[in-house]
Amino acid sequence: MRTMWRILLIALLICAFGVISIYSSTYSKEGDFWQTLFLRQILWVAMGVAVFFMMARTNYRRLWDWTYVIYGAVLFLLLLVVIMGIVRLGAQRWLRLAGFNLQPAEVAKLGIIIFLAKYFSKKSIYDVSLPTRSFGIFRGLIVPLMFVTVPAALIVDQPDLGSGALVFAIFLTMIYLSNVKFRFILIVLLVLLACVPVGWSMLRDYQKDRVMVFLNPNTDPLGAGYTAIQSKIAIGSGGLLGKGWLSGTQSQLRFLPESHTDFIFATFTEEWGFLGGAALLLLYYLLIKEGIAIAEKTADQFGRLLALGISLMLTLQVSVNIAMNMGLVPIVGLPLPLMSYGGSSVMITFIALGIVVNINRTRAVF
Amino acid sequence: MRVKIFHLTAIGMLTFLLLSLFSMQVVRGRAYRSLSDKNCIRLIPQKGSRGDITDRNGTVIAGSAIAYDIVILPQEVAQIDKTLIALSRVVGIEPAQLRKNFRRFYTSPSMPVTVLKNVDKEKAMRVEELKLDLDGIIVQSLPLRTYPFGKLACHVLGYLSEIDHWRLMKLEDYGYKVGNIVGNGGVEEKYDYYVRQEDGGLSVEVDHQGRFTRVLGFRSPQKGKDLQLTVDWRIQKIAEDALQDFRGAVVVLDVFTGEIMALASAPAFDPSAFVARDMLSINRSFTDPAAPLFNRAISGSYPPGSVFKVISAYGALDRSKVSPETTFYCPGSAQIGRRQFKCWGVHNDQSLVAAIAHSCDVYFYRLGLLLGGQAIHDYAVKFGLGKTSGVELPYEATGFIPNPIWKKLYRLQKWYDGDTANFVIGQGELLTSPLQLARLMAVFANGGNLVTPFIVKAIGGQDVTAGHKRVVPLHLKPAALRSVKEGLRQVVADEQGTAGMLKSAPVSIAGKTGTAEINKVDAHAWFAGFFPYERPRFAICVFLEKGGHGYQASMLTKTIVEMMFQEGLL
Repeated sequence: MRTMWRILLIALLICAFGVISIYSSTYSKEGDFWQTLFLRQILWVAMGVAVFFMMARTNYRRLWDWTYVIYGAVLFLLLLVVIMGIVRLGAQRWLRLAGFNLQPAEVAKLGIIIFLAKYFSKKSIYDVSLPTRSFGIFRGLIVPLMFVTVPAALIVDQPDLGSGALVFAIFLTMIYLSNVKFRFILIVLLVLLACVPVGWSMLRDYQKDRVMVFLNPNTDPLGAGYTAIQSKIAIGSGGLLGKGWLSGTQSQLRFLPESHTDFIFATFTEEWGFLGGAALLLLYYLLIKEGIAIAEKTADQFGRLLALGISLMLTLQVSVNIAMNMGLVPIVGLPLPLMSYGGSSVMITFIALGIVVNINRTRAVF
Repeated sequence: MRVKIFHLTAIGMLTFLLLSLFSMQVVRGRAYRSLSDKNCIRLIPQKGSRGDITDRNGTVIAGSAIAYDIVILPQEVAQIDKTLIALSRVVGIEPAQLRKNFRRFYTSPSMPVTVLKNVDKEKAMRVEELKLDLDGIIVQSLPLRTYPFGKLACHVLGYLSEIDHWRLMKLEDYGYKVGNIVGNGGVEEKYDYYVRQEDGGLSVEVDHQGRFTRVLGFRSPQKGKDLQLTVDWRIQKIAEDALQDFRGAVVVLDVFTGEIMALASAPAFDPSAFVARDMLSINRSFTDPAAPLFNRAISGSYPPGSVFKVISAYGALDRSKVSPETTFYCPGSAQIGRRQFKCWGVHNDQSLVAAIAHSCDVYFYRLGLLLGGQAIHDYAVKFGLGKTSGVELPYEATGFIPNPIWKKLYRLQKWYDGDTANFVIGQGELLTSPLQLARLMAVFANGGNLVTPFIVKAIGGQDVTAGHKRVVPLHLKPAALRSVKEGLRQVVADEQGTAGMLKSAPVSIAGKTGTAEINKVDAHAWFAGFFPYERPRFAICVFLEKGGHGYQASMLTKTIVEMMFQEGLL
């Protein structure tokens, strides 16, 4: 019980940081849409907390039963994006559902984690020990890869390279954590490496630009490199203590694009400095650690993998987003969980945290 | 095991991010901070005006007026073409020209673009009216140097231009920047640091599109300090008018204080052409063989001719080589060494006073040989020749006084008696500036004190005369001084005096003419003297480059003195 409140407290603290940063980044923008954006985020957080409690009370073994339904729903949503998605910022990533925009790629990440957790914890009725160790390349690698590739390909096609790559990273780490033979993972890595030249030719122009700009942001300071440069300036100029709330010139004067979504970390650290940034990183670590600790205590393989997968998802999203804010990796469209404005991301993260809480609560049953 | 590795990897990744964050924000934070400031802070300069330059009575001879620039603030303009067409109708300039200017000077939406410079007041007011209908037009007033008297005292003032690389290097530490307007030549250069304005400006914050968001700071521009000169514009005008058709210079000094009452050099240039950037006229000033930008009164070095005789006259009396009663016989020429040295006439017996009055060369050949070349040099130095006078104008020439040692060292030749003969009558290598000769005459006029000429009386209303160099007493022998002075008077008063025509001048003048032959055909004409003789006030030196006989210079002196008398300046 105490674990639940601890997780909720950490998550809400991060959300609070997010809301004040969204408020700050939209402060100088005119119009009702911008001025009420932080209120919407508060609404999303409130709904997220409700879902969190709901999931915390729902036995996570239900997910085991519903796995293929969830997987099917993910595919359906992704296909729906292809057919009737909303094009925004040059990419077709959003679905308009019941008055709000849903980003199915967010749902897909969690769906794939659930699917993989189930796949690697299935037991035969004849042998109750875990079979993953003895999986051959076909059952240990090819089959799950096929199941992951279908949604991942749909995501990459949107195009959302960041989420696509994230799904593959989740897949690789999940098979690693499932005790599948290590050489299989090496094989996948080598194949991926070999695919780089092919993949390069398949990238869209703006994606190539982003990679080139990442290698040298000054090649195009006003075009594709603009965001990378402005984000680095925003973070760096924050200094130790920051410029103060509502006083970050980079975000207030709109030098920094996407300052309330993907680049919220830059907005936050510009105004709150290194101390704020370090506090935020600490909170994320505590959240991730809760998931891992619960996984270690859980005997049920499905619950264990699920909790690990959710921690993994958080780790990867947080690291990639912050690294991209600091110009350490190319810019991809990944939100910072619980910080960035956006309903899909907030809801999915709270659902995932609710699942983790429930695993902690129900594990004693087994 | 694998879970532990995963846990450690997660810790490692987050720690790496934390360290990167530390390096960006704390280690390199300052550099990023300045980048972020550069992003959003813009400076909009506002020009101040240079200090006025007035004559001794406060009449402005270089002032500043307001020029109107028409400026467009791009972020306020809805349709730039419409605005420019409306503007062109008012000021009467082709819209295409305005569009070209606009495009050339455009930098960002928040930075004002000057589309027209130097519009007159009437048009500026009509543009003001236009502002009611169209946004984004600004009429900016900009102070510009004006010269109410045109070319008057142009060499004293100097001209204004953009700072050059060389001076920028020298003056960077004093707050000078690229594009600053600085004075060149004259007091504008010498006192530039005082006269120059302090530009003010606005620092504003702009957003990512360069649009103005708020004012961060404002400093009002400051006018430079006013300079009050010792020059009297009326005397200056008389001198310049007299010089109009010549190349030459006129210097008028106060004999007791060294204040420069007038300092004219001809031909003159028009300093307002530099303000208006009239390139044609500027180029002409630079390429004209008559060198109008050259200040002949202080920067020119010329052989002084017979004016120089007064120095050896005093020297010989001082060293008792001759007495006022000593006479030499002038048969029209003298044999010195192996050469025949001519006199310009036949003067028979000449005493010192008569020899000065008649400018008898033979007398001075004899006197010079008694005195010797080195002694003449020493007396010339004593009277302030061969070095700068210390006037606070830039580019003052030292002139040159030859002497036996110099000839030995630099020409590797012996100093012959013939050299002394040439030297004593002011020919040969000897060079002086008109200002030096006026100063020399002041010594005889004020009873033996060497004054330091100066031209700035007050800076910013504060009297600076006390700060100038003191008058130096030369401790001359009164009797010798009296004899030379008498000689100077006789130049004018004597029947055969070389400047006899000055006798009819309204005040009594004393002085010495000079005709310095520079080749077979041409000679510089000089007259240096002081007036009134009985109670001296002004020392004057008139110099005409290739002006012929000293007679010409005396004529000019007469005109100047007469005009001064008429204007009630005596």
